[in-house]
Amino acid sequence: MLRDQEDRSEQLDELKHLIEHAAHLLPAQGPITVFVHHNTLHAFEDLPFDQAVVEGSRIFGCEPYLSEERYREMMIHERIRTEDISAVLIDDLGDEADVLLGFLGTRYHLRLAMLQHPLRTAPAAELRWVVAETDALRRFSPDVPASVRERSIEQTRHWVMRDLRNGGRPVADDEFLKNEIHDLIQTFGEAHIEEWSAATWESFTLHVLWRMCYHGVHGVHTSFVPTPPPVRVRDVLLETTGTDSDEPVNELLIRFCGAFLDQGFAHWRLPNRDQGFYRAFLALYREPGGPPDVWREGLHKVLDELVRNQTGPLECIDESLSLLGVATEEREAFLSAILLSLRGFAGMIWQMETRGDRVAHPAPTGSLIEFLAVRLILERFALAHAAREGLGFRGPLEELRTAARRAVTPEPGHYAVSVEQRAFMVFQLAQALAWKPQDLYGMKQAEWATLVQEIEAFSDVERRRIYHQAFERLYMNQALDALTLHQRRDDQAAATPRLRRAGATSNGNPSGNGRASKPKFQLITCIDDREESFRRHLEEIEPACETFGAAGFFGVVMYYRGLTDAHFTPLCPIILRPSHYVEEEPVYIFEETHRRRSQTRRVLGAATHRWHIGSRTLLGGVFTSLFGSLASFPLVTRVLFPRLTAKLRKKFGGLVQSPPVTQLRLERGSDVPPGPHKEAMGYTVDEMAGIVERQLRDIGLTSRFARLVVFVGHGSSSLNNPHESAYNCGACAGSRGGPNARAFARMANDSRVRDLLFKRGLTIPQDVVFIGAYHNTCSDSVTFFDLDRLPASHKTDFDATLEVIDEARKRNAHERCRRFETAPLTLSPEAALRHVEGRSEDLAQTRPEYNHATNAVTLVARRSRSRGLFLDRRTFLTSYDPAGDDEHHTILARILRAAIPVCAGISLEYYFSCVDPAGWGCGTKLPHNVASLLGVMAGAASDLRTGLSNQMVEIHEPLRQLFVIETTPEGMLQIMRENEQIDRLVRNEWVFLATLSPHSSEIHVFRNGRFERRRPGSNTLPEVDSSQDWYRGWRGHLGFARVRAAMSSPSEDA
Amino acid sequence: MDYNTIFTVLGICVVAAPAVLVAAMGLMALLDRSPSEAAMGQLTQAAVVTGLLAAMAILGLMLLLDTRHVPIELGNWVIIPEQHFHFKLKFVFDRLSVPFVILSYLLCGTVGAFSHVYLLREPGRMRFFLLYALFLLGMIVTSLSGTIETLFFGWELVGLSSALLVAFFQDRAAPARNGQWVWTVYRVADAAFLVAALTMHHLTGGGEFDKLMGAGPWPEGQAALTPNQALFVGALLLVAAAGKSGLVPFTGWLPRAMEGPTPSSAIFYGALSVHLGAFLLLRVSPILKLSPLLCAAIVTLGLLTAILAAMAARVQSDVKSALAFSSATQVGIIVAEIGLGLYYIALAHILGHACLRTLQLLRAPTLLRDYATLENAIGARLSHPSRLWERSVPAGLRLWLYRLALERGYLDAWLADYGVRPVVRVFQWCDRMERKWTDFLSGGQSRESDRVQPSPETLERLEKLL
Repeated sequence: MLRDQEDRSEQLDELKHLIEHAAHLLPAQGPITVFVHHNTLHAFEDLPFDQAVVEGSRIFGCEPYLSEERYREMMIHERIRTEDISAVLIDDLGDEADVLLGFLGTRYHLRLAMLQHPLRTAPAAELRWVVAETDALRRFSPDVPASVRERSIEQTRHWVMRDLRNGGRPVADDEFLKNEIHDLIQTFGEAHIEEWSAATWESFTLHVLWRMCYHGVHGVHTSFVPTPPPVRVRDVLLETTGTDSDEPVNELLIRFCGAFLDQGFAHWRLPNRDQGFYRAFLALYREPGGPPDVWREGLHKVLDELVRNQTGPLECIDESLSLLGVATEEREAFLSAILLSLRGFAGMIWQMETRGDRVAHPAPTGSLIEFLAVRLILERFALAHAAREGLGFRGPLEELRTAARRAVTPEPGHYAVSVEQRAFMVFQLAQALAWKPQDLYGMKQAEWATLVQEIEAFSDVERRRIYHQAFERLYMNQALDALTLHQRRDDQAAATPRLRRAGATSNGNPSGNGRASKPKFQLITCIDDREESFRRHLEEIEPACETFGAAGFFGVVMYYRGLTDAHFTPLCPIILRPSHYVEEEPVYIFEETHRRRSQTRRVLGAATHRWHIGSRTLLGGVFTSLFGSLASFPLVTRVLFPRLTAKLRKKFGGLVQSPPVTQLRLERGSDVPPGPHKEAMGYTVDEMAGIVERQLRDIGLTSRFARLVVFVGHGSSSLNNPHESAYNCGACAGSRGGPNARAFARMANDSRVRDLLFKRGLTIPQDVVFIGAYHNTCSDSVTFFDLDRLPASHKTDFDATLEVIDEARKRNAHERCRRFETAPLTLSPEAALRHVEGRSEDLAQTRPEYNHATNAVTLVARRSRSRGLFLDRRTFLTSYDPAGDDEHHTILARILRAAIPVCAGISLEYYFSCVDPAGWGCGTKLPHNVASLLGVMAGAASDLRTGLSNQMVEIHEPLRQLFVIETTPEGMLQIMRENEQIDRLVRNEWVFLATLSPHSSEIHVFRNGRFERRRPGSNTLPEVDSSQDWYRGWRGHLGFARVRAAMSSPSEDA
Repeated sequence: MDYNTIFTVLGICVVAAPAVLVAAMGLMALLDRSPSEAAMGQLTQAAVVTGLLAAMAILGLMLLLDTRHVPIELGNWVIIPEQHFHFKLKFVFDRLSVPFVILSYLLCGTVGAFSHVYLLREPGRMRFFLLYALFLLGMIVTSLSGTIETLFFGWELVGLSSALLVAFFQDRAAPARNGQWVWTVYRVADAAFLVAALTMHHLTGGGEFDKLMGAGPWPEGQAALTPNQALFVGALLLVAAAGKSGLVPFTGWLPRAMEGPTPSSAIFYGALSVHLGAFLLLRVSPILKLSPLLCAAIVTLGLLTAILAAMAARVQSDVKSALAFSSATQVGIIVAEIGLGLYYIALAHILGHACLRTLQLLRAPTLLRDYATLENAIGARLSHPSRLWERSVPAGLRLWLYRLALERGYLDAWLADYGVRPVVRVFQWCDRMERKWTDFLSGGQSRESDRVQPSPETLERLEKLL
């Protein structure tokens, strides 16, 4: 007895383990209000990329790469070049490239041809129609060049006239084909064969080719392995009867999961929610007199029994599995399939269970198992119902499995690939490569089999993989060439100072060897790709300034609460959990104002909330509706005049905003541990010094400080955008990074901190002032913090800086507008700024900005290596000075530990959502519906949709991220050895890695497990006066270019 | 030029503007010419502005001249003398139609401008704007109709375009299925409407509202029917209104209709389409007045809908379903008001509710931000204090009520399992009988198609079999 119990609990433990293992396949996206980009196929990272996408696409039913048409379009626009395809192909085939295939040439040639010529396929019925009804057999495909067409026709003509009719050569022993071709000649009119026109010959050639191909592939044995029967009976039933048993189950579960997960939207909360998913469900549905749906007749009895027997969720799952007849070895696959059938909600339940700290109402531990238990009970009812309706099956459920599978045994002769599809493939290749009819005519059955197998071995997924690699290869080569050439030109320019522009000489070498004058100002932004253009424009406008990039939380890991915020928000990367709290407070003289205004705010807020709720209730609704006509004013003005309305709102909103002067509660006594209470908030002076030192050393800003150093956090604001948080700073876990910049500036300005730093060998001169700022990447506005503390001595410096920043905002908006279809290409920079301001306030705007779309490269290097290079907002720029690092690469390692997973996560989420927006992404934004305040559904009731929307990724180009790191290959290898995650991502080719020598323009690329020295492939890098000269008037992709205007600060390793 | 001519010209403008828009868009769609996005926007705006200005001018003139009833006749379009039938195109401007027309133009115009930006680069954009134009035309024709045939014509256009817009994302299964659900409910409503229209023709010898309701301007007409006749016709019209306005037992289609792009959900289900049933009842209000029993039925149905929908709205966890049920609540109350004879209040209620709900639906995706703003203003998590009645209900009943609300009053299940299934069963039975009979006659299996499995390759195999 005891033994039995032990066995049982062991069995259940194993089941639990299986479920938790399967849970890793679920989407890892948390609540949409804190959107963190991550690799969609994170669970597959221990596989090589190409293998993982194929495996993932099989399990999730999504596309691994872009469609062949998309790649072909890229070929037309030269984004994929034949030379890259052949290089990738040779690399991919290795020794097998030279396998000879008779008159077809080598395997390499065949595959290259298959990639160069568009191969189309369709269901057999459609192909039959194409052959019979279109001019497929009258005219050569327009993709075939005229010369090839002529050659093909000429060959056929010769063959018919010389060999076939005059018996010059032995003909095939195949009587059938011989007769067919003979009939064909008769049909075309043998009597007048010498007068046949060119068009007749063309048509005849195609007819002959088609007959031969069709006849040839007939009877070729299929090497196709039949797919194993689906692991779920539901799939079998769907195939046989057309009834989807998931439909009623999901309908019920979506409603129930929505209610269970709800973060406070519904007025009436799910009863017994605290008791967990399983018990809440049982309590709700166990009573009789419930829903009358026929498919769940008797559900309440089963549930009631579960309650009375006190069956736990795991036992219940076990029971359901045996009732459903799932064998022990099938369990894992079955459980994964079941979880994935409503993956959005299942994943969200798992997230709420494992990362409960991120939501207001977390889910209790074990919720996913409870969800699964309920899911399986419903599965039983739905399957039994579907089988009864569709198959007339009334036996026990465990037998349904075999009964249903029997019903789908494929009919003999029903191949996965039809004769037509095979024949058409060969037919197209024969046209494109001008295969000689006599060669085809003489082919034996075995040779046909080889040909078909060769073609089918290079399936469409394989072809897309090669296209994709060729596409990545070109961009990678261009990027690395650009970096090399840029550096070389810098070196040349430094060697011949005469050529430099007048302004350049006056402002010297930033490496701090004393010759140089100080920069006008220094500005530090997030590494975000969207800040690249902002920095570039700043440098173009004021060549005497310097910019840096650092992860946008600037080392300040905190829970922050603004003066008008209700809650603390974590402002740091998602992998960190802050222990410090910081709050914004009014300064003393504004305390009264603040108290009054927050009172007003509270009253207004409560009234609005009541109106919100009231409008959805019975009597409140009557009241609000009778005055509802008033709603037509905001309705019309907001839609037709978004920018104006926003301005008006701001004006009136000013009455309840926070007072004009506030401060951060940033300092705490050294004897108090950090915490959320007033006295425990903030940092000790020592901690502050640590943060400031680390950040400045990370970016290599340890000397030559300008009088003004501006730290700029970023975020984004837009309307009608449930994904708003995804547009914010990734390093602040989907929040706005302004407070981090503000806190950092305050710390760095503190004289005690500077004293401590001085003792640690980092001298910040007295006259250096740090300022915190916030950049809204959607409306391109920049707000400065704590200007009341700006010393009078620095007022002119600040004014000058402000002027530069204002100009840069306009130019940045202008550059962004080239991507927005509704912004004319002829906009002036001023109008562009107005345009982007309008965008962020427009209710109807589904593309307030393009976020990280087109991101492709991460550069971890000194700015001088990329300054003046047009990177088209596609590059994450992390500042790192190898000269300031120790021999263990401590600084680099800690930068990369965050930068590689974060940037790879962004890049891969974009990759997958772009490759299949409806599958990996969340589809089009237009029908999105905010559910449970946690995520979006598509339409009225769908699964929660994770990933990015069509509108976010439409201009993206799916490329794996290329990391270029300014260090030695040995240094990089050492870091990879010490960091398992980086090593895995790089070795499995989820990202590409290259090193840029700190002392020259030499680049090493990581390939096949080691670094190889790279030879530049190109010697040309276009040079222009300003960024505008390069991007003006152009919407699509732009290459790299050298921008002279920003070049005045020469490189430091000259 | 006398005022009548001015009225006629303006009236034709009001009706013709959307008609021209439909013709232009339809023609372009037929010729497979897609106009540029800007041109499409301008065309739509021009039509809406023309119609709106003309309608405003008519309103101004009516106020100036103090007329309350301006009929515009466009002659008989179909005449069948033997059957005493004529299809007469007649439009009426009165206290009911003018506000409705102006509301339609205002909301459609705003939503059109919104969609112009919202649907940028959407592949189905042309289809959307064509259906939008069709819907606008349907709304205008329905509101202004002076005969029951004209009303039916507009009513059908609205139904067709709404159902197709629900299924706008036709490549996913759920929108197609829900579109079909909406369409089926609409057809039931249409059937009831058609029978009612024929009956009225039969009773009064024509479809003109003037004849049906007496000559007085709305709502003061006196219908020339006996109370029993009124009850019969009124009951049919009530079924029609219930289908169109999502009253019990049809309420389930309203949340299902939230499948299309946000603006179409806003305009159709939040604002205009859903009020059409109430509009119909208002239009035939002189008939309703005749039968107290009918009025009682209307009030009951309205209140029942309002209570059920209000409960369902309280438990919805997604914003669009919550708004759909809130709409249904208010429509229920509006219908009850009509039953009570409060016509002007009902009209004001419709206008206010439509504007409010459109705004709410258009900004539904911004919910997360709105909630964050509210929380920040209040300084705490938003709470929903339980109401007195909730606390006073015993726990068991509360659970029962919650389940009823979560399952949306079981209405869909009743309709599907106890309304549709028997019908399907009957036809399946007929099918079996027919097969038996033909098998008997042909002495073997008479239907090749029986052996075909439903799968994408079905067509192909069918071909082989034949």
